[in-house]
Amino acid sequence: MLHATNHRIGRFVLWATLSVSSFAHVAMAEPPNTPVSIVLPSDRMGFQPGPGREVAAGFCTICHSADYIYMQPPHAPETWEEIVRKMQRAFGCPIPDDRISTLVAYLVSQNTVQPIPALTHTDSPPSSRHSGNMNMAQGKVIYETYCRNCHGSTGKGDGPIGRALVPRAADLTATVKSDAELLHIIQGGKPGTAMPAWKGELSSDDMRAVLTYIRSLARK
Amino acid sequence: MQDLRKSMALHDHDRERIENARSSSLANVHSGITRRSLLRAAVIGSGLALAGIRPAHTADQPAVHLPFERGYRPLVAFPQKRPLMLMTIRPPQLETPFHLFNDRIFTPNDAFFVRWHLANIPTTVDPATFRLRVHGHVERSLTLSLADLRTQFEEVELAAVCQCAGNSRGFFEPRVPGGQWGHGAMGNARWTGVRLRDILDRAGVKPGAVQVRFDGLDRPVAEGTPDFRKSLNVEDVMNEHVLLAYAMNGEPLPLLNGFPLRLVVPGWYATYWVKMLNDIEVLNTADEGFWMTHAYRLPADPCRCIEPGQRPARTVPIGRMPVRSFITNLDRGARIPSGKPFVVKGIAFDQGYGIDRVLFSTDGGTHWQRATLGHDYGDFSFRQWKARFVPKTGHTYALQCLAINRIGESQRFSARWNPGGYLRHAVETVQVEAM
Repeated sequence: MLHATNHRIGRFVLWATLSVSSFAHVAMAEPPNTPVSIVLPSDRMGFQPGPGREVAAGFCTICHSADYIYMQPPHAPETWEEIVRKMQRAFGCPIPDDRISTLVAYLVSQNTVQPIPALTHTDSPPSSRHSGNMNMAQGKVIYETYCRNCHGSTGKGDGPIGRALVPRAADLTATVKSDAELLHIIQGGKPGTAMPAWKGELSSDDMRAVLTYIRSLARK
Repeated sequence: MQDLRKSMALHDHDRERIENARSSSLANVHSGITRRSLLRAAVIGSGLALAGIRPAHTADQPAVHLPFERGYRPLVAFPQKRPLMLMTIRPPQLETPFHLFNDRIFTPNDAFFVRWHLANIPTTVDPATFRLRVHGHVERSLTLSLADLRTQFEEVELAAVCQCAGNSRGFFEPRVPGGQWGHGAMGNARWTGVRLRDILDRAGVKPGAVQVRFDGLDRPVAEGTPDFRKSLNVEDVMNEHVLLAYAMNGEPLPLLNGFPLRLVVPGWYATYWVKMLNDIEVLNTADEGFWMTHAYRLPADPCRCIEPGQRPARTVPIGRMPVRSFITNLDRGARIPSGKPFVVKGIAFDQGYGIDRVLFSTDGGTHWQRATLGHDYGDFSFRQWKARFVPKTGHTYALQCLAINRIGESQRFSARWNPGGYLRHAVETVQVEAM
């Protein structure tokens, strides 16, 4: 292997290849007739801090992960605006016109950042110690910033974006999930849906607070 | 159901995660394929340890640095896949590390690149209940199971290169928006399936048919996003080469490559190779859908190019692949031994005329020698080649290869530009130093 820059990688992949090949392969004589299932990694909220991040987090991640932005070469503001308009008009992104300049400014501010995808945050579950009314106000602010566009102001999954999703955003007032289950989804996202992982965006306390607020919606 | 997801990222909890995958794999297995990928995750994990690579958050993350801005690509294992270069997580886009093209002429299924447009990808597909619908401008509509396809039509196998229209987009100068691929958004496989022509003949294409539209099981996430569907002219699909493939390299397709059925259009860019193909519609007018009229378009000018930064007045859909070649056993900046013959290896392919010759240069294209071609696996396959030269100590060499197909078409010396970043087929240069 004469790949100077990828020498270690090459060795690693070569080793893996050789090892894997020692496993028996299923012959094609019998076609598969049982369901094949995979679990795709959930979207990790990779947008980096900066003014306008909540717009990117709210709208861009409906359809794609943040790395769609972070793989781009630096684009001029006009190019970013053109891309955002294309998302809005051609791809049906429900972003309102009055949020576009904020989003474009944020995307320009991210031009020179390359976060390491999927690797910047730990998987430790948010602590469930700090519940209580104290968190309610904080939870409401977080909910209205990050959750409302999809789940709606009443939590019924009928926000302006949530209605347009397939499947629709979950009705949080009707959920039978436990706190732990909900925190798990908030933290890690829900594969197969537009629900991203928020662990990169929200602290454990934030997630706990927003859960408190979500529970209050069900009681209204 | 956590385990595959957990084993995707090779970071500091790797070994624990792999243990998780091992201990609970039985509970999560839905097919032999899934089980194998779990085993692979385990194998790769121990490979990491043996190779002495310390898994960590950032610097030591196994990764490839593509030689352009923001070219960092961590190597991450998705289900049924070995660690590949992660471009995007959702929808998944994974690139094949380039040195793998040197190892084998057929790209292993678990190393084959992945590119989806829409995030609603079915993660469970039941081959027993899967049906292919054929309808539209035909005498009789058909609904075919996979068993019907296998038993009622002649089985065909064909080697063909599947290359993303935007392969190598990252090398465009000036850079353009879009998926920032290196050269690894391509692969060569033996595709097994049935001829599309035979299916259409069974349905009976009515006079006046213009195009055939292909749709897969993937769906948009947002209501306003156009579903991904692609169309080809009837005359371009009524030949013996276009297949509905249920196997690649002798095994079922990985789900991320289109299980259980994929359109194979040899010689054409991968945008037409619709994955999870379940709907074929014969049209008596041209497809006016977004993915034909607004995406994957090239400038209408015969060169399919335009001055950088300009906008084409007219565009046409992208189609067949121009001839290309690569050096596969040397990366840029490599140091090679001097004073004795050194063998440079590579691959070449085109749209199906077949490769006539590959020329090789050590001085950036001033002098050329003819390379030796490897076994011919068919006109649509990669063709391997090799050439020898004797490097001199301390010299730097600008290695190039140039392929010419059987109708005399060759690669271009300088890259042409188009705003979509498609169709790159310029002569690539690999600079190496002799020690």
